[in-house]
Amino acid sequence: MQSVLDAVVEPRRREILRLVHKAELPAGAIAARFVDVSRPAISQHLRVLRDAGLLVERREGTRRLYRTRPEGLGELRSFVDEFWDTRLEALRQEAEQEQRSRDHEQSERPERNGGKRDRGG
Amino acid sequence: MSSPSDRNATVESVTEVGEPIVREIHVRAAPETVFEFFTDPGKVTRWLATEATLDPRPGGVCHQDHAREDGSGGSYHMRGEFLEVSPPERVVFTWGFTDPDVGVPPGSSVVDVTLTPDGGGTRLRLEHRDLPVATIESHADGWTGMLVRLATAVMTTPGD
Repeated sequence: MQSVLDAVVEPRRREILRLVHKAELPAGAIAARFVDVSRPAISQHLRVLRDAGLLVERREGTRRLYRTRPEGLGELRSFVDEFWDTRLEALRQEAEQEQRSRDHEQSERPERNGGKRDRGG
Repeated sequence: MSSPSDRNATVESVTEVGEPIVREIHVRAAPETVFEFFTDPGKVTRWLATEATLDPRPGGVCHQDHAREDGSGGSYHMRGEFLEVSPPERVVFTWGFTDPDVGVPPGSSVVDVTLTPDGGGTRLRLEHRDLPVATIESHADGWTGMLVRLATAVMTTPGD
């Protein structure tokens, strides 16, 4: 997952992902969109994105064509979800431990907290 | 060569706000116990934050520092506000960070937690909504915002 984060942290790579999200494009056409970036630099970005599982590369003769890999982006969504999964699991453990210690406290002091507590009814 | 208008079409395919993130878990603890883990600083720091300043009433501050997990030892600064505090059933607060690299500015998103008694324990439902995904050209290019924007772009594009 870290490679995905590394891949999308660079603005040009995000721009590339957007470019090839709907249409498969050859490397040359992608490079042509970035007038201020060298061709080798674009090739490097494409390699990082491919290795992170975000791009599918296809060869057609001497051309290389790229398209966004939708499953790769699904993993990104999962990463955001995972923040809450991880935190809520920690919450569950802490809250259950808290409850156990409260229950334990109550059972140790039955005269004060247990049994015949008059609730005024 | 593709025409320049293709680029605009790609940008416009992104919607304003992503689908809410929804999580549900069962906790073997009373709703009253679970509730305090959202409103008591001493308990929030047991599962979510490293530091917390909380004033749990509508309009009160909900400030949390979260550890950066990049080995730097630094913090993310969540600066939210409580919108609803109804113990032990519901707590709602805004969620956003003063750190531009997170890409979710203060006030931009909402965390809505409902607690329902369930078999001697609690069913906890957390909905995180209004995560910003609008500004594809935004300067707030943090990874969180970007991940959500990308995911939303994919989910909302017809024909995938």
